[in-house]
Amino acid sequence: MPYYDEIELGDEIGPVEKVATDDEVSSFCEVWGTSSPNRFTDAETAAKSGMKGGPIVPGIMTMAMMAQLLTDWGGPGSIKDLDLVFRQPVPHNRALTLAATITDIREEDGENLAECDILMTGTEGERYIGGKAIVTLQSR
Amino acid sequence: MYLDMHSHSVSSDDSRATVEQYVKWIQVLRKRGHIVDGIVLTEHRKFDFDKNYSDLASQYDVLILKGSELDTRYGHFLVYGVTKQLTEAIDFGDTRMDSRELMKAARQYDAFALPAHPGRFGIGLTDYISQGETFEDVSIVERFNGGSRPGENERADELCESHGLLGIGGSDAHLTSHIATCMTNFNTTIRKEGDVVDALLSKDFHPVWLKDTINGASPT
Amino acid sequence: MAMEIEYDRSLYGVEHKAGPFEISDYTIDRANQSTGELGPAFTSDEGAKAAGYKGRIAPPTLCCILVRQVALPDVKVQFGKTSMHAGQRVEPKAPVYAGDRLTASSHLKDVYAKTGRSGTMVFVVWETTFSNQDGQIVAEVQESFARRE
Repeated sequence: MPYYDEIELGDEIGPVEKVATDDEVSSFCEVWGTSSPNRFTDAETAAKSGMKGGPIVPGIMTMAMMAQLLTDWGGPGSIKDLDLVFRQPVPHNRALTLAATITDIREEDGENLAECDILMTGTEGERYIGGKAIVTLQSR
Repeated sequence: MYLDMHSHSVSSDDSRATVEQYVKWIQVLRKRGHIVDGIVLTEHRKFDFDKNYSDLASQYDVLILKGSELDTRYGHFLVYGVTKQLTEAIDFGDTRMDSRELMKAARQYDAFALPAHPGRFGIGLTDYISQGETFEDVSIVERFNGGSRPGENERADELCESHGLLGIGGSDAHLTSHIATCMTNFNTTIRKEGDVVDALLSKDFHPVWLKDTINGASPT
Repeated sequence: MAMEIEYDRSLYGVEHKAGPFEISDYTIDRANQSTGELGPAFTSDEGAKAAGYKGRIAPPTLCCILVRQVALPDVKVQFGKTSMHAGQRVEPKAPVYAGDRLTASSHLKDVYAKTGRSGTMVFVVWETTFSNQDGQIVAEVQESFARRE
């Protein structure tokens, strides 16, 4: 895990590539307790909701994926704030690129904070999700 | 000079970047060899008369100007040189206003309004023109928009070519690291909001991408 | 005039309580499996202890999964037909351990209109605070939903 003293503005976290498969989305919807049929697992319901590309990945599932990018980097308890805007529906079974960029480094109330922009993008210029995260890090 | 003509700070509901974070990030871009002289904060549906960024501007040597991005029935419009009289004449929160009236009122009260991201699908000027609407007062549009999806800036290019319009560039940043991804290169000196209006009226400017502002240092 | 949105303004200032939510190993396992979470502190006591925790912890977005189980009242927005999840924010405040019992308290934060690629949209924003069995706040969650024409 990185130390606060070692990071700089502009440092990148990731990118990592992930895919949300049909099975994973179905499993997530079960845990989540979503009623069926829904636009996440059912093509017809998705079409009725205006989703032209088929069923979509739930926003909260994509959020869990974004959180993993940060906890894999900064540690399991490192996220202080994760704030995401869902800009485009995220499709199943497609390569998703997750990456963050450190945009601010500061000490606040005795904590060492790194603030980052965090993005989920597609292979053809799609900007599925954008947002901000604040991560706490240890000093060396 | 290179100005990012379209950006949103946390004063806009959907932005996550503070003005301080933008100007700090501009230092990163400068270290990487890019030229960024200033930004215009075009907050959604409002004008922040009460905000003063002069300390940040001098601390980081970045020109910080204020403008607005208004929702209209014909898409979003960027407004520069906003005056008290303009905010009294036009309700900035009215998402159904007629942008033609906005453009006229802006000029009447020493400001300038122009279409943001005209190639944007569903909400860009291109779509309204193809529906038969006419916009006689439009002479400048935002040709480069950093928030565009694939194909949208190309539609703005086509609009400029087919209608003989001038273009500006703005990042449409809502996140810190997106500031200044595209800008406008003015051949005049701009120090305050009113100068932006004069610079637009001078027609002596063109849109640029950040990558084209490398000043000799090695890009990273 | 700015667009006047019709909705149930009496909901402001009202807290909607939900729970308790029992956070079992099974709950955490299922959340992990469905999101591909393999972090040692989220998957075992040993992994969590190695990271300085007293036992296995839940991943930081677990409360975002639970928040959908909070029954929120209809805001009765007189606009649009389709509602989409527009944004989500979580601020973890304290670890959530396997064995915790959480309660939630939600309130309406804001309703406002704007236009985007999909035309005019009305946003409804809810805030939920999750607390554990000791009354300690473990997470603040904010959700926004967009209704479009």
